[in-house]
Amino acid sequence: MTIWNRYPDSDILAQRGHWDDATRRVVLDRVYNVPPFRTLNPHERETLEALCDRVIPQDWKPAERRVPIAPWIDQNMSQSAVEGFRFEDMPPNTEAWRQGLAGLDQTAQALFGQQFAVLPPEQQDQVLHTIRGGSPPGEIWRRLPASRWWRYVALRQITGVYYAHPYAWDEIGFGGPAYPRGYFALNFGAPEPWEAREVPPPGRNGARR
Amino acid sequence: MRLHVHLSSNWVLDREMREYSPDEEVDFCIVGTGAGGGVLAQRLARYGFSVVALEAGPWHDSETDMVSDEAGSSRLYWNDLRITGGREPLELGANNSGRGVGGSTVHYAAFCPRFHPSDFRVRTLDGVAVDWPISYDDLEPYYVQMEQEYPVSGPAYYPWGKPHGYPYTPLQAGTAGQKLIEGCVKLGIPVVAGGPVAIPAGAFGKRPHCIMRGFCLLGCKVGAKSSILVSHIPDAIEHGAEIRAQCMAYEIPIDGEGRAIGVRYYETDAQGRIHDRQQRAKAVVVAGYAIESPRLLLNSTSSRFPHGLANSSGLVGKFLMAQAAPVVWGRFEELIRQYKAPPACACSEEFYETDPRNDFVRGYSLQTVAPLPIAMAHLIVDEDGRFGEELVVAMQEYNHYAAIGVLGEILPDERNAVTLHPIFRDQYGIPVPYVHFNLFENDQKLLRAGIRRAEEVLQAAGAVETHAVHRYAHLVGTCRMGFSPSDSVVDQWCRSWDVPNLFVCDGSVLPTQGSANPALTISALAARTADWLRQAAPRGELAQRPVAARRGGR
Repeated sequence: MTIWNRYPDSDILAQRGHWDDATRRVVLDRVYNVPPFRTLNPHERETLEALCDRVIPQDWKPAERRVPIAPWIDQNMSQSAVEGFRFEDMPPNTEAWRQGLAGLDQTAQALFGQQFAVLPPEQQDQVLHTIRGGSPPGEIWRRLPASRWWRYVALRQITGVYYAHPYAWDEIGFGGPAYPRGYFALNFGAPEPWEAREVPPPGRNGARR
Repeated sequence: MRLHVHLSSNWVLDREMREYSPDEEVDFCIVGTGAGGGVLAQRLARYGFSVVALEAGPWHDSETDMVSDEAGSSRLYWNDLRITGGREPLELGANNSGRGVGGSTVHYAAFCPRFHPSDFRVRTLDGVAVDWPISYDDLEPYYVQMEQEYPVSGPAYYPWGKPHGYPYTPLQAGTAGQKLIEGCVKLGIPVVAGGPVAIPAGAFGKRPHCIMRGFCLLGCKVGAKSSILVSHIPDAIEHGAEIRAQCMAYEIPIDGEGRAIGVRYYETDAQGRIHDRQQRAKAVVVAGYAIESPRLLLNSTSSRFPHGLANSSGLVGKFLMAQAAPVVWGRFEELIRQYKAPPACACSEEFYETDPRNDFVRGYSLQTVAPLPIAMAHLIVDEDGRFGEELVVAMQEYNHYAAIGVLGEILPDERNAVTLHPIFRDQYGIPVPYVHFNLFENDQKLLRAGIRRAEEVLQAAGAVETHAVHRYAHLVGTCRMGFSPSDSVVDQWCRSWDVPNLFVCDGSVLPTQGSANPALTISALAARTADWLRQAAPRGELAQRPVAARRGGR
């Protein structure tokens, strides 16, 4: 299983002239107005950034195509956005993040005697696999349900930020905003004339359409 | 007041709207403007009644407030705090709760099937849950009306339930929808292309043709998809109804005789200031859907009704149902590009009814779904908590996935309930709802069978691997209709047994839910209630409490 650049010709942002004003404003804001950190302290911020790097590795992409994730998660905390519900066994969003990030450190300490952010990537992954498994070491995880935190707080929010970004759309071949132009190539998974074609994996020729 | 709201690409609702003073006693004050409240407001206004409909959310202008973007659409949802618990705690907000004129129809997928005749008689037929106090035949004329008015497109012959045809022809299915059709055909499972969906092929009145953009769940900027916002609200205003947005109802006050005298609500003005107001009304209709309706009734306590209004039975908030809506997706070698075309485009109701060969009663439908990137990523992480390269690679296969939504009937259980949270309050100071939900044995068996069937269909269509994640859709029950004041909250006309001029007219009155998306049934019930009110209100019937029906009779 390897990552390769499947849609090297995709440049969804270049289609911005075909989008409606309201959508263009929202998407460009996301790309060009990355907010400053307001809620997390420097150590929490460092821990969150390390977590984001392991959940969505971006080192395979050129630096200018990487998507900032942590600042948007911090911004959601500063706006204390409520997303319509809260599980009864979970604290409010900001508190859930603070506790979970501290929990990463507790588990990292228990397994490797160091804080999460300074561990090498393989050991960070081991910490995350342990949390994913549901019963990680660390006092915080006795009151914060680890698997719920992992899925609903960490993974849902990190992927929610990442796959909202046009660079991530380029990576998966998603056409992006489609109003008012719409789509007309509807059969056989065909691309629109302006959409990028998927390329086969390196060393394989044309096995996939 | 002057309205200026885009309802579609080239249709602006630009007109004066009749306004009433809160001190003026209107004939009806309706709380909520979705599938129930919106249709009722339109009907009652047409019948010459004075109507004020309170809507907690804003007007959604299709040009300026809706965006062609997943992450930017959260303003369409009911985002106020709710606490959710139980063994299978329901996720609320985006998936099942709308806020704004038109309610959650603004962001529904627009699958609009009818219920089957059997849905109204599950106690008689299967020995579970309860029968409805009405039959399919009572609702059928209103289904026909709603299919014309939304309108609903579908095949000229629809083979399930009581077979019927649809008045408008459907859009073509995208590649993802074609996979459901292909898999079913290969297995010999009857399936319909363009299953009942409230998006007609071609323009409809001032509503343009669908552009196959695939963003139905984020609000239709085109205005091609039917929602109550575009189908019934303009007509309601045309006939003199006032739709009062940004008004959150919190209490229904009563007089010394135990009759509702209006609605108390908090109005948020353009500067964000909150004003405490009361609209006087001769009759009150609660249409806030299965969480907000019981919440409003439970929050309306008095010495006469210490446990909440319309709650002498103790059933307000009980028998909450969601539908089991697991998403099953397959990976195909060929390209699918599932983001194109409306997600709702084909279905099979072949497994809807009780089958004695199963180890469960009732059944499920198979419907097309088409998650956009963030929804897809959430399915993938929910399945096994994967992260890192595994996650990125799975998402890189995005264009090779086609998905099926199983829509399964969950039986009503008294323990699944909406109550008021004892501690937490929302931004207005109103107690927040606590939503408790568990699956029980029949539900779990049915769910497993539905997932298995969807996997078979995808494999038959050529999927090289399949995945499944549990989801829940729609919220109904909590103010059930029934035969008598002891077994239900409202009668067959959606009228409270306890308060003669109080109605509940939304999904909360459904005693059972079938495996059909509920919007059309909610609207049909509202239209039926409106027709009864047209006769009953002038006769003075809203002065006396309803009399229990003879069970089995109507």
